[in-house]
Amino acid sequence: MSALEEKSQAADAPADETEDTRSVHLVSQEGESFDIKVSVAKMSNLVKTMIDEDAEEDGDAQEIPLPNVKASVLSKVIEFCAHYKEDPMNEIEKPLKSANMHDVVQEWYAKFVEVQQETLFELILAANYMDIKPLLDLTCATVASMIKGKTAEEIRKTFNIVNDFTPEEEAQVREENKWCEDA
Amino acid sequence: MAREAQKIISLEDGWCNNIKPNAINVLEDHLNRGFDKRTSQLFTPKDFMSTYTTCYDMCTQRSPYNWSEQLYDRHGETISQYLSGTVVNALREQHGEFLLKELVRRWSNHKIMNQWMQKFFQYLDRYYVKHHSLPSLKEAGLKHFKTLVYDVVKSTVVNAMLDVINKEREGTIIDRPLIGSCVELFESMGMGTLDSYVADLEEALLANTKDHYARKSQEWIETDSTPDYMIKAENALEAEKLRVANYLNPSTEAKLLRVCDDEMLEKREKILLEKEGSGCKVLLANDKSDDLSRMYRLFNRLPKGLEPMAEIIKDHITEMGNEIIKRREAKIEGGEKDTNQDPNFVKELLALHDKYMAVVNDQFAGNSLLQKALKEAFVDFVNRDVGKFKNADLMCSFCDRILKTGGEKLGDAEVEEYLAKVVQLFSYLTDKDLFAEIYRNQLARRLLNSRSASDDMERLMIGKLKLKCGSQFTSKMEGMMNDLAIGGDHEAAFSAYLKDGQETRKIDVAKIDFNVQVLTTGYWPAYKPMEVTLPSTMKKCTEVFKKYYAETTSKRRLGWSHTLGNVTIRAKYQKSYDLQVTTLQAAIVRIMKARKTIGHPQLVAEVLSQLSFFRPNPKVIKARIHGLIEREYLERDASQANHYNYLA
Repeated sequence: MSALEEKSQAADAPADETEDTRSVHLVSQEGESFDIKVSVAKMSNLVKTMIDEDAEEDGDAQEIPLPNVKASVLSKVIEFCAHYKEDPMNEIEKPLKSANMHDVVQEWYAKFVEVQQETLFELILAANYMDIKPLLDLTCATVASMIKGKTAEEIRKTFNIVNDFTPEEEAQVREENKWCEDA
Repeated sequence: MAREAQKIISLEDGWCNNIKPNAINVLEDHLNRGFDKRTSQLFTPKDFMSTYTTCYDMCTQRSPYNWSEQLYDRHGETISQYLSGTVVNALREQHGEFLLKELVRRWSNHKIMNQWMQKFFQYLDRYYVKHHSLPSLKEAGLKHFKTLVYDVVKSTVVNAMLDVINKEREGTIIDRPLIGSCVELFESMGMGTLDSYVADLEEALLANTKDHYARKSQEWIETDSTPDYMIKAENALEAEKLRVANYLNPSTEAKLLRVCDDEMLEKREKILLEKEGSGCKVLLANDKSDDLSRMYRLFNRLPKGLEPMAEIIKDHITEMGNEIIKRREAKIEGGEKDTNQDPNFVKELLALHDKYMAVVNDQFAGNSLLQKALKEAFVDFVNRDVGKFKNADLMCSFCDRILKTGGEKLGDAEVEEYLAKVVQLFSYLTDKDLFAEIYRNQLARRLLNSRSASDDMERLMIGKLKLKCGSQFTSKMEGMMNDLAIGGDHEAAFSAYLKDGQETRKIDVAKIDFNVQVLTTGYWPAYKPMEVTLPSTMKKCTEVFKKYYAETTSKRRLGWSHTLGNVTIRAKYQKSYDLQVTTLQAAIVRIMKARKTIGHPQLVAEVLSQLSFFRPNPKVIKARIHGLIEREYLERDASQANHYNYLA
């Protein structure tokens, strides 16, 4: 029974099946190579443009260098992509409905972005560079959640920003954005 | 952050030291030399990622070092320069088919170039293009090809394509994939619409096609017979259809065929249909089925194209029908007896109908306009009566002949077939009531004289008439059939009544076998009641039946139609014979048996004296004499007018 089911599924999705047997090597800035399934790697539109669709199945796995991504970040990116393939992330509603990411996406994704700010920004850059839309959405939403409901001073504190406005400049900016405070 | 660790890339550094030498020069080199590998593999992931990363970095640097705008412009310039330099120069040197080949190669190259340029600069598409509402990289590349190459060469290219297509029309084998690829270019240049294809190629193609077939059809019409011309036209249409399937856009088919139809058919229709010796009429007269089918197929393509054909068909069938009518007229004028019996005439009409019904169905696909032509033709001559008897009468009598015993001697299937055909013919009669009246009289005669060969066939025919004209039309005929069906029941009930009831004593059952058929007034033709004096036995019988009938039904009045009665009398010569005759005939036979030959007045006088107990009308006696002649008991004396001989 189960064997039959497997067979029929395979017949329904032959494309996935061939992709699943093939893999690519994603190579980090430091030269560390990650062996991942083509179907997972294709979450990145950049990698997707590089995948040779006509490559023979038993040929060597393609090596795709990603000189802008560090190994530590790349491994997180891959973790995200692999999980996304199993359990896709919910669409993130805009405007953000809560400052708590647990209210915004599934548990796993909320936990995924509970990282240091430095790592979060590196993930944003990697998602942008590799063109992985759901990862970019998640990480940017996380940054937005850190801003939501905070005063300018609190935001400066959160992101370690030095206020370089002169008092006159600050007054002018406040005046220009008054409409925003009223809301 | 990572960015801070990197050094800022200047525009010229990124362009001259990476993008230009590692990507663009390599790509152009591939395009110029031809490809020794799959075009998706022109760059290794390593080489490609290096260029992508450079572009990415140059586009993500903070102002004033953000080079998005400059890179977008240089992307376009690179493509423009390559097209207006290398590509246009290469095309200028070529003519005719070589031009087409070079164009197809360059167009295919451009698609490869455009694709790789988009891949290298893809980061621009994601933000810069969107924020500035610019054409995407791919669209920009396509537009450059359109303005710099396509617009420059298109009219030369169209002419070269039409030359090739015309060669194919003349029977030369051409490079179809080459034309197909050119067509694909015209389709692509509409940027998602077929505008360029239609305006730049299709219009010219249609004009060219029009010229071509105007010339061809002029040639054919001068030299060919209509059938030959039609074969050529049909082949040409097929070839044009195939041409669209082979290498043109499918939307062209209808327009292209319309042009062909116009030139080859519409403009030549009259000449073709009326061509001396091979026009529509000649084809009909000579039963040229294939040519007629083709004629139908071709002119059916035109709006209203069948109308002139229908006119000719109608005239032809009318002419054929009128010839049949004229032959009958000539027969009558030539002295042949004019009776309502002319089965050959009816059969000729049926055969004519069969023939052209088959032509309409088989050669003209049952087309309604041509069916109408057939119908109108038949209506014209089926209602043209010659001689004393109406065609309706002849048709009824034909039915009578095949429905009664001893008529045509046909199998059930044949009878059924004939009936179906007569009903067809009947449907063309204008005076259908006349047909119904005659039919009813003949039906009554068949039923009352027990001469109907098959109850099923009678009902079948009535059913067919009902289908054509509705139940009102046949209700009386059905009533007659019903009376007869019930008649059997009455007979059984009555004989039981006689045996079981007290009335038995009053009738000498052994002496006379007495039956009554009850007919419903209104269903049957009106029979004149006749005052008769019945023999006492008969009289007693009728009284018993009257009583029986009054007991079994209510509020019904019985009248007696003795003229319709039958008597079986036993005649004793050397042997004894049973004779089935009507009541009057019984008397006539008795007289004739004695006299053998007798004149008409004497016979009538003797009948009257023999039947002194009742006084039949001499006219009725005459009719009965005729009945006996018909049934070959008597014959007219060949030597003496008005004398009859008895044939035992």
